[in-house]
Amino acid sequence: MEANEILAKAESLRNGLSTGFRDEIVKSLYTEAENIAKRAVKSTSNKKYDFDQKIDRLVTSPYAGLPIMLLLLSLIIWLTVSGANVVSGWIAVVLFGIGDYGRALFNQIGMPWWITGFIWDGVYLGLAWVVSVMLPPMMIFFPAFTFLEDLGYLPRVAFNMDWLFKKTGAHGKQSLTMAMGFGCNAAGVIATRVIDSPRERLIAILTNNFVPCNGRFPTLIMLATVFVAASFPPALTSLVAAGTVVGVVLIGVMFTFIASWILSRTVLKGEASAFTLELPPYRRPNISRILYTSIIDRTIFVLWRAMQTAAPAGALIWVLANIHLGDSNLARIIADWLNPFGLLLGLDGVILLAYIIAIPANEIVVPTMMMVYMGAGMMINGPTSSTEIFDLLVNGNGWTMLTAVNLMLFALLHNPCATTIMTIYKETKSLKWATLSVVMTLGTAFIVTFLTATIARLLGWA
Amino acid sequence: MTNTKTVLPTEHCETCPAFTQLEQMGIKVGDFDRVVALAGNPNTGKSTLFNALTGLKQHTGNWPGKTVTRAEGGFEFNKMRYKLVDLPGTYSLLSASQDEEVARDFILFGQPSCTIVVCDATSLERNLNLVMQVMEITENVVIAVNLMDEAKRKGLEVDARSLSRDLGVPAIAITARTGDGIHTLLGAVSDVIEGKIETKPLRVNGTPEFQKAVNELVPMIEQMAPGIPNARWLAIRLLDGDARVQKALSTGELGDIVSRQQRADVKFSGKMSVEGRQITIRLRSSQEHLGDIHKEK
Amino acid sequence: MNTTVWLITAIILIVAIFIPRVGLIAIYKTYRIARERELVEDALKHLLDREQHARQASPESLAGILNLQRTTVMKLIEDMETQGLLESRGSDVHLTTQGERWALHVVRAHRLWERYLTDEARMPLGKIHGESERREHSLTEAQLNDLDAALGHPTRDPHGDPIPTREGTLLKAEGMPLTAWQAEGPMRIVHLEDEPALAFEQILAAGLRLGQTIRILDRNPQRYLLTDGETEFRLAPAVAANVSVAALPESETSKANAISLAELTYDQKAEIVLLDEAVQGFTRRRFLDLGLTPGTVIYPELKNFFGDPRAYRVRGTLIALRKDQAAQIWVKPM
Repeated sequence: MEANEILAKAESLRNGLSTGFRDEIVKSLYTEAENIAKRAVKSTSNKKYDFDQKIDRLVTSPYAGLPIMLLLLSLIIWLTVSGANVVSGWIAVVLFGIGDYGRALFNQIGMPWWITGFIWDGVYLGLAWVVSVMLPPMMIFFPAFTFLEDLGYLPRVAFNMDWLFKKTGAHGKQSLTMAMGFGCNAAGVIATRVIDSPRERLIAILTNNFVPCNGRFPTLIMLATVFVAASFPPALTSLVAAGTVVGVVLIGVMFTFIASWILSRTVLKGEASAFTLELPPYRRPNISRILYTSIIDRTIFVLWRAMQTAAPAGALIWVLANIHLGDSNLARIIADWLNPFGLLLGLDGVILLAYIIAIPANEIVVPTMMMVYMGAGMMINGPTSSTEIFDLLVNGNGWTMLTAVNLMLFALLHNPCATTIMTIYKETKSLKWATLSVVMTLGTAFIVTFLTATIARLLGWA
Repeated sequence: MTNTKTVLPTEHCETCPAFTQLEQMGIKVGDFDRVVALAGNPNTGKSTLFNALTGLKQHTGNWPGKTVTRAEGGFEFNKMRYKLVDLPGTYSLLSASQDEEVARDFILFGQPSCTIVVCDATSLERNLNLVMQVMEITENVVIAVNLMDEAKRKGLEVDARSLSRDLGVPAIAITARTGDGIHTLLGAVSDVIEGKIETKPLRVNGTPEFQKAVNELVPMIEQMAPGIPNARWLAIRLLDGDARVQKALSTGELGDIVSRQQRADVKFSGKMSVEGRQITIRLRSSQEHLGDIHKEK
Repeated sequence: MNTTVWLITAIILIVAIFIPRVGLIAIYKTYRIARERELVEDALKHLLDREQHARQASPESLAGILNLQRTTVMKLIEDMETQGLLESRGSDVHLTTQGERWALHVVRAHRLWERYLTDEARMPLGKIHGESERREHSLTEAQLNDLDAALGHPTRDPHGDPIPTREGTLLKAEGMPLTAWQAEGPMRIVHLEDEPALAFEQILAAGLRLGQTIRILDRNPQRYLLTDGETEFRLAPAVAANVSVAALPESETSKANAISLAELTYDQKAEIVLLDEAVQGFTRRRFLDLGLTPGTVIYPELKNFFGDPRAYRVRGTLIALRKDQAAQIWVKPM
């Protein structure tokens, strides 16, 4: 018996069957299941609505649903901002202390200056920066986020927001993938597998980067604290900073919608496909599992990845800062060369240099920037208070409010990190989409910052 | 087998006799005696059971479709080493979405020794649909009725024995979060694999017209691949126009399964002899005890 | 210096023209072959269409449909005859068995591709014909079989035309033109002709769709007045001839006193009567798998700020459906 014969036979039999064959199979399965379940299950209570349903009515209700969502987002970000500042300080003291000790030790045993510099001022300082800047927000953000995820809240977010996605020609489950993107954009890209329609999945992949990931939060938090919140009374600082970060996140969400809408009308033409979303029952999260997942699987994983890129980047910065040409160094020269273009975007040359060096991982942008600003070869340990940072940036390097705002926008919109680009390539198996993801985001970042800078200058704000 | 730790929360298990028999092995251990697949609807606590058995900390967010690939782990029970494969949660095995294909391909082509279908006790009706679809593919099925604590909270009484009777396969009530019932579940799994429990899975027949079509196809499939275990299911899938099964048929993948299975039989008899040796060893070690019995005789 | 530049330019030009596969000549050759294949296939399609409608095809009709000079058409017919695809007797042109098989392949490609564009790519109905017209010439038999299986072996294209099977059997088109329909009472739209495109656009613009149940309110030489019970549709008779209708199947009668799930209010429970014909392919399978089978009890439970989607309780689980999907599920309030 040949396979082809069987296939032909099956086809002719299939055509002979009345249509709706599949409907019949499933219907009879469900009918049988219903009967068996009826025999096995006895209900001993007549409660019409249980507690879960009451909660669901609240978190998805027409009036309270969206505000609650915003409130939860703000709460998580506020916890992250206010907690991170404190912890960051402690870690910095310890890590930079070790750095001082190590440097002193090397000097004592008579190492050449360039070995000491390369190891302690380059590689180690890069690592110390990344750890002290990144670890605290992650340690707060990830558990809080994982808690909501395990509870079953995320599908409710998708439910609340779906209409907006439908209008932009995208899939409601895109909000699930965006939520994952807060943690790590590469994880968000992988999470798009839950979207069945290839077109909508591609939209979700390409726009995921507009959600600021955890690697970019430190940049946003620092700028929000130093520039926006600094002029408020100390009691309100963390609140204002958190509010600013929430605002930036919302701008990112807005860009996601705009980009989805444009994609649905240009390269990924089509209408929104069928959408079915299950809203699973709430489950009591297991605290130890949450801690395990958020600390080991997520925090350590992301941090380790950041450290792997921070070490070589730290070394590279040190080398650039210590190759002297005339009375300047290479880092300065490159930064100066990039400066006109940076100014056009309301940024400066150092920021662009930092972004170029930080292509492997966004986490090291702030440290890189600081090092170039501060570094004349010998690097000082990072400034710890926001007044010091403010002083360094504004008085020392000519920053304005426009620079801060545009850097926030740039951090939000610019190209995905190397890992995310690789993930996009692996998931789409196409160089074209991976390239588009870079071109689209980078283009948006350039255009938006250029526009804000030009408008601000025309209006005389900057 | 270094690195073994006890799995279940001690407060539940110090009392149970099988406590010491259940050991976790993580994923590093290479050789397994048996492969068990874990299927089920999304959000039924499949991954919780997986973690409870293997001691791995696979994360499971509470949103639909988070596992798209399968996870693997191992555990030991009654001196047998099991490899556990956690399949993506699906409502059905009929559609061609990515996660369903992964789940179905493994049950069909991976030929696990037994498949545990995890059900949510609070919505059995929906879950049984999948149970019956799995039972169409394979006979070695054990149902784990999970979330019994939730059901209780919602005022539902679930009678697992009634399910066993109706479905023709063992159904065990468990609460994966606390570990309740897991040993009974594993006992049932091993009994099904060893043939101590004979399963008679319920099969839904459908309309006469449909049955006639199935009956015409089954002999053709059996003629092409003699000894194929699930010709009926394949016939139904072909009638439904399942692209994956059609492909498996025309590329000869199905024939491979049969030959692999026959090889597995050989391997199994080899394993039997190994087991026999193990039994002898065990008997020898308790020779005094045996001697006592003989004396009594 | 100058000569070197010229020499290099010349070499580059020569290479660009003559290099195999990517050179200009190669590109032109590929284009010619593809164009010839398109012509042959379009001719075959035309002949098949004529034969199915029991009308004679002639060199003139071919020239008209292919937009070619008569002499070119004669050359084409001669070529196809030598390839054994057709026979010409006098001024009549007929398909051979081989020609018919090829023609059916092209029709199958076209209709499957239309199905794909509608179900999977979600392209608007007005655009799929043109796109399929381009695609139908480049698909191989194996690709078609894969596409067919992936789509779940559809039997009709989105316009209601039957899709030829793998063996090449083609069911007869169902129904009759609206203009020929004489009986009273409701009927069902079974086919919307997509050629000419202008008439098809008018049908779509009027809001008619496949599977809709309609009644004729009034007909006169100027226009047809139709209704689906809520909206009225106006069509010119020439356009109405492109709409085919048939008597209601049994399932439709059960739809009679049903409402769509989207219309169900919050305090109502309902029983599913059937899934609309328009839900096909992956979406239909997904609905079924979620337990949206006839007889199932369903009721809306959650509504968000935008009022869309709503979450329904089905078999103990909450499932969110968008309004347009809910509109395709027919229910009977309890």
